[in-house]
Amino acid sequence: MPEALTPLDSTRPGASPAAEVVITHEDVDRGHDRVRVRAARAQKGIFGNARLLWLLLGPGVLVMLGENDGPSMLSYAATGAQFGIGFFLPFVVLTFAMAIVVQEMTVRLGSATHRGHAELIFDRFGPFWGWFSLVDLGIGNFLTLITEFIAIRAGLGFFGVPPWIAILCALALLYSALLTHRYWTWERITLTIAVGNLVFVPVALLAHPDWHSVGHAFATWKPLPGGLTQNTLILMLADIGATVTPWMLFFQQSATVDKGLTRKDIRFGRIDTVLGAFLATAAAVATILVTSLLFTHHMNAANFQAAEFAQALRPLIGRVGASLFALGIVEAGMVACVTISTSSAYAFGEVARRPHSLNLPIGEGRSFYSVLFLCAAVAAAIVLIPGLPLVYVVLLVNVIAVLAMPPALVFLYLLVNDREIMGDLVSPGWANAFALIVVVSLTGAGVLFGLSVIAPHLFALLGGK
Amino acid sequence: MTAKERQEIVLAPAERDLILGSLEHDQLAGLKKHNIPRRKLKGPELVVLWSLRIYLLFMLAVVLYQVLHGAN
Repeated sequence: MPEALTPLDSTRPGASPAAEVVITHEDVDRGHDRVRVRAARAQKGIFGNARLLWLLLGPGVLVMLGENDGPSMLSYAATGAQFGIGFFLPFVVLTFAMAIVVQEMTVRLGSATHRGHAELIFDRFGPFWGWFSLVDLGIGNFLTLITEFIAIRAGLGFFGVPPWIAILCALALLYSALLTHRYWTWERITLTIAVGNLVFVPVALLAHPDWHSVGHAFATWKPLPGGLTQNTLILMLADIGATVTPWMLFFQQSATVDKGLTRKDIRFGRIDTVLGAFLATAAAVATILVTSLLFTHHMNAANFQAAEFAQALRPLIGRVGASLFALGIVEAGMVACVTISTSSAYAFGEVARRPHSLNLPIGEGRSFYSVLFLCAAVAAAIVLIPGLPLVYVVLLVNVIAVLAMPPALVFLYLLVNDREIMGDLVSPGWANAFALIVVVSLTGAGVLFGLSVIAPHLFALLGGK
Repeated sequence: MTAKERQEIVLAPAERDLILGSLEHDQLAGLKKHNIPRRKLKGPELVVLWSLRIYLLFMLAVVLYQVLHGAN
């Protein structure tokens, strides 16, 4: 049975009578998307479910593959090059499990409230806490955007493309996806680029990894060459920061709202998130496997940048493999440019109470598109300034993301357990327990890092080296 | 004429019903103007939020020190 076409419920408290409701361009586009979802839901069986999945997947896959960005792939590459196949393989899988726990909450929040994350924090906890969250997000997003353009420049530099052409091409692609002013089209274009992240999988196969060592690493979480050192901790933090970051919370919730997901779609929102995490894990593990070749060949990759990894890998995996690796870095930076600048624009629109949707025509969404354009353009311009010590930004952006995550998670925890806005969709006890473990783990990792810097002797006594 | 009215699209009655029927009440852009009621944070919640805020500022200082130390 198809769902009934019920008119707007004007009897609900606070609802305007249907005749007085103003319908905007954004509503029309979203409404047509929902009509297709309803038709798919009416079509029972495996084909109906497959069509429903096709229509509803997007925010989860985009956020997970978007987080496999330039600095993240660099972190995974550095991990493989410095530690080989061992502890970090299962560790990275664990970080993606943490990401699923966290991101699932944003699906429920967005579907239940139809509000973005920034908007909910401002409304529910007031502007004081709201501005704290927004400043954290803004600074983190801007620094990360710079690193994405660095990755694009470095990746295309492998092919001899001059930096300014690389940056202009990236901006042109970013802006042309927006010109469709249609969420659905933008999402499908970005998804198509995002799937390119899986290019690291064939590159890993070209590296002919020792599958016995891979199995041993997953079974035993060993070896960890050198033990627990400050460098190990920084890479652990960087790998956590490569999978769970504040912008992901803001982006997935806002995209869920913009796509128009409702309570009935939460199951598919969860599948979307898990599928995204699975694909992103495959790409991350593949990257570690590829660069573990540098560890095996005792090559010092401690200060390598993206293009240098590709160049160092060339004698080991061939020109095709190295080129695919460099292309993967470009793709990682490109998708993250799109998703991160969009998350900034969503958050600004939600807080400033300006229209904020990818379904808006340019004229109606001037402030939304302006923020998006400006964020990307300024970050891109900074990358082109000669002589800036950008290497520090790349190394630190994931670490800063981990440090900013616990406060963001507490707001998420409070919102998702707020029965007044969530109703029966509040988090069950087990989900809260997982969320608590994630907050404690992230805070603990940050404190350990702090200890290793401030009191290295005390850190050594605790078991570090 | 308000900004929202300027954005209004005039639809045929059948399409208007289709759009209104396919969206939930809170999904309509024009009805998102009202704020969700504010919630007062309890004592323990404020303690956790302030602790994490201080933690973040302190750790950022540690990271900055690490960067300057590394740069030198």
